[in-house]
Amino acid sequence: MLAFGEGCAVGTDKTGKIETSHPPKRRFRVIHVQHLIKTYEDLHRGRFVAVDRVSFTVRSGEIFGLLGPNGAGKTTVLRILSTVLAPTSGIATVAGYNVESDAADVRRCIGFVSNNTAIYERMTAWEMVEYFGRLHGMGKDLLRVRLETLFDQLRMNDFRDVPGSKMSTGMRQKVSIARAMVHDPPVLVFDEATLGLDVLVARNLLGVIRTLRDSGKCLIFSTHIMSEVERLCDRIAIMHRGRILDTGTLGELTERHSQDDFEELFFGLLSRHEQNDREEASFAGLSSGPPDGDTDISDASDTHEGATA
Amino acid sequence: MTNTAQQKRRRALLADRPRLSSIVLIYTREMRDQLRDRRTLFTIAILPILLYPLVGMLLLQIAQFTRQHPTTVCVVGRDHLENLPPLLADAESFDEDFVDDAVPTEVVSYTWEDAAAAPGKDHFPNSETSEKQIRRVDSLTSLWVRRGDFDVVLVFPPGFAASASTPMPPDGPPDSSERAELKLLYNVASDQSMVARERVAGILNRWRTGWVRDRLSDSGVDLTVLDPFDVADVNIAPERTRESAFWSKLLPFVMLVWAMTGAFYPAIDLVAGEKERGTLETLLCSPALRSEIVWGKLGAVMTFSMMTAILNAGSMLVTSSLVFKQIGVGPAGMSTMGAPPIGPMLWLLVALVPLSALFSALALAVAAMARSSKEGQYYLMPLMMVTLPLVLLPMLPGTTLSAGTSVIPVTGMFLLVRSLVEGQYVHAMAHLPVVLIVTGVCLLMATRWARRQFESESVLFGGGDQWELNSWVKHLWRDRQTAATPGQAFVCGAIILVALFFGKLVVTKIPETFVGISQLILMPQIGMILAPTLLMATVMTTSLRTSLRLRMPHWTTLPIAVVIGFSLHPTYVMLAQFISSVYPISEQAAAAMKPFTDQISSAPWLSVVFLMALVPSVCEELAFRGFIFGGLVRENGRFRAVVVTAVMFGVSHGVLQQSIAATFMGLLLGWVALRTGSILPCILIHFTNNMLSVSMERVAGSGNAAGNLLLTQTAAGPQYHPLWVVVSLSIAIACLWYVGTLSPAADEQQADRVLEGSQLSDPSASLAPASA
Repeated sequence: MLAFGEGCAVGTDKTGKIETSHPPKRRFRVIHVQHLIKTYEDLHRGRFVAVDRVSFTVRSGEIFGLLGPNGAGKTTVLRILSTVLAPTSGIATVAGYNVESDAADVRRCIGFVSNNTAIYERMTAWEMVEYFGRLHGMGKDLLRVRLETLFDQLRMNDFRDVPGSKMSTGMRQKVSIARAMVHDPPVLVFDEATLGLDVLVARNLLGVIRTLRDSGKCLIFSTHIMSEVERLCDRIAIMHRGRILDTGTLGELTERHSQDDFEELFFGLLSRHEQNDREEASFAGLSSGPPDGDTDISDASDTHEGATA
Repeated sequence: MTNTAQQKRRRALLADRPRLSSIVLIYTREMRDQLRDRRTLFTIAILPILLYPLVGMLLLQIAQFTRQHPTTVCVVGRDHLENLPPLLADAESFDEDFVDDAVPTEVVSYTWEDAAAAPGKDHFPNSETSEKQIRRVDSLTSLWVRRGDFDVVLVFPPGFAASASTPMPPDGPPDSSERAELKLLYNVASDQSMVARERVAGILNRWRTGWVRDRLSDSGVDLTVLDPFDVADVNIAPERTRESAFWSKLLPFVMLVWAMTGAFYPAIDLVAGEKERGTLETLLCSPALRSEIVWGKLGAVMTFSMMTAILNAGSMLVTSSLVFKQIGVGPAGMSTMGAPPIGPMLWLLVALVPLSALFSALALAVAAMARSSKEGQYYLMPLMMVTLPLVLLPMLPGTTLSAGTSVIPVTGMFLLVRSLVEGQYVHAMAHLPVVLIVTGVCLLMATRWARRQFESESVLFGGGDQWELNSWVKHLWRDRQTAATPGQAFVCGAIILVALFFGKLVVTKIPETFVGISQLILMPQIGMILAPTLLMATVMTTSLRTSLRLRMPHWTTLPIAVVIGFSLHPTYVMLAQFISSVYPISEQAAAAMKPFTDQISSAPWLSVVFLMALVPSVCEELAFRGFIFGGLVRENGRFRAVVVTAVMFGVSHGVLQQSIAATFMGLLLGWVALRTGSILPCILIHFTNNMLSVSMERVAGSGNAAGNLLLTQTAAGPQYHPLWVVVSLSIAIACLWYVGTLSPAADEQQADRVLEGSQLSDPSASLAPASA
């Protein structure tokens, strides 16, 4: 894999070196999200704001963590970045390409792995990754070379011809990653990728992500598990109810909020945010209280305190 | 700057065009994947190849079994047949003159004494009477037939020979008690017995005929008296039609049903199943465009649909030809049932392609709404129920390809193929354009719907919430908009049409009084058309003026509308007459309407105008060109709004001839409504048109000078002068051209964007991405 800085992959020549088609664009500002908003019409909640004025930037050679409870809007943001969903308003660019107007270019430069992106049961590992490589427009020969390289690097050669239904969770995870990397995108998105994985497989995945970062890729990693974020991410954004509450490196965050324990920091931020919401709501004269289905953070922090006390 | 912007736009446009290579890639993957599934392979390929031969073999066995089971007849009282023309050759069979050789008949006969002896029953020889004997024979023979020991029993009572030989006395038949009857006992509950009865009745008929001929020739009557004339049956249908009539009905039906079924299950698996398994999102984040995904999946579903249809129909064809040949049976009137004519059968394959595509597109669109395979199956049931009648309709006796049936999707194509198979090429070709257009339009709409489903985020990612009545009602109130949504418009239209349908059922007789007539007209208009519209507009929208399209148009349109109404009326009348000549009104319908038309002609003019012009124009325009149009025109639905409201408007009229004319009028009114943005011109046109229609008779008969200029009274009713028709049409066209140059004051597409004016204003709209 080559270091990022040479545009987006189009093909490999005979030596395996990846060729590019476009001049480098915005080499270091790889993902740029500004004032992103996504609203849904929901039967129960009416106009529901899933993503509320989210802004962040991610550079190459960096792992950016999106941390937040369920329903925070992380998956929605990442789906918008990978052009699966369209934003309601705001700007999102990947490697300089706008997700709305240059969706095809964005898809060429991004690889998306989610626990919702499964693999085909009746296709073998090789066939699956080859299929997506073909969809990316890669020619047969260069695709074969690329697949050999990829399977070597990810140590997938022993289950090349195993169909998806017979694979273990770890193997499936690897196939998903290979599928997302077949076109060597400079940007990789992992949306709750460790969900449902056992400890060994999850650890392996985190290792792979670190390797990718070291080779110059730009990575976004979303999760609700704090330990992963602490150990893996260079910069972190904390999301709750569609908003980003704070962004920064671990050090910056602990200093800003004068709280060494990251967990405490996290829960503190969330409960303060809820408090603010309630005050705003009562100001506006609407009925207060968290909408149905949301976890009440104050309760969670209470029990947490109870446990440690 | 403009260059790069243009370049960007061009690239974006090209990027949206589906690439054949991607479509083929997706198609081949889906096909390979489905064929790797053992269950699919079994259902599609193995099952038809095995099923029909197995069933055929079973049928053969059953047919042979029933064939070998002969008819059993019991004759009681054979001794009473002596001295009569012979019926029985011996104790075990009928005389061979009377028996059909192809059918084996077993005969067992008893003498009277043997039967009357009734073993097991006590009887005293001294108290034997003929009545007792008859009773005993009756009960015994009834028991035999009921038990099935014999299929049929013939009882010749004592005295039969005597009474049969005695010629009828000249003064009428003797009392029935003196005439001995031959009893034929059978059991209607047993098929076997019924068949036997037929055969024995035939035998007896032949016996009787021979006997009568003998009697006549004995009395010296010339036998040619009995046969005054012969009848020659001439079947004019060509050989091919006779042979293929059976196939031309059954085979298309079987093919279509299997094409439907064969499309549904792959569609469920390819969309809802993939949603469930999580592989759909993987595909969506790949470089494949949504349209490419839809086309690729559509191709795969269509291939399976066609394969299923061809394999099943082919297997059935081969099996049944062989089986029928073996059994040697066929529909009545045909001695041989050869293999169906292959050439015309190819037409069936050709017709299968568009129909298969239609079913596949529908199945794909419906399956996209489901979140899992199980849910997909629930949605497909209603789809089956909608399409099955279209396939069944041609099987009804009396349904043939005609102008009326050729516009029905699926049915028209089916009937067209049938005509081709039967060799009626000219007839088929005459209807080919209409059938092709209808099929093409349906196909286009179905594929558009399927594509829309794949572009809709709520369809692909939505759901998880259970549908609850409370939440839904709250949502209706909370999320009201200024105009109706397309969904609400459709629902309103459906409510109106269903209410009118039931209303018509309730009316059994046309009332005779004017009050009754008024009620008959006002009730549907106000109760079934106006009421739902106003109700829905009030409850579901925030602005009656916008949702009912009561805007004030450009002032010139109002007088122009009146002029249009006047000048288009002659053309409208001519159209109505043309329609009546193509679809003449039946005499019963005309007779039923007579009291109505009489009342109308005799009532005061103003009341009639109020009843037949003012009320309908206001109510119907508010409904069709107001609320419903306002809903359907949204989301770029201009074409949809004009066409659907016209069709609904047409259907709302009960009589077919009126419906067709109304549909054309509806198209015009819809177009005017679109261009002026308001229903007011439409109300004026509609009112003027109706007023002229009811006034024509009166004006023509009144002797008014202006009236005589334009109208003449003819036997068929008042007619416009042909010159006036031409002149008025040109005036109308000029006015319509003027309307065409207008653009509406309010942009109805704005209603969509009204939604987006949320409290979350977007300050980033003018932002460019911040520089590094």
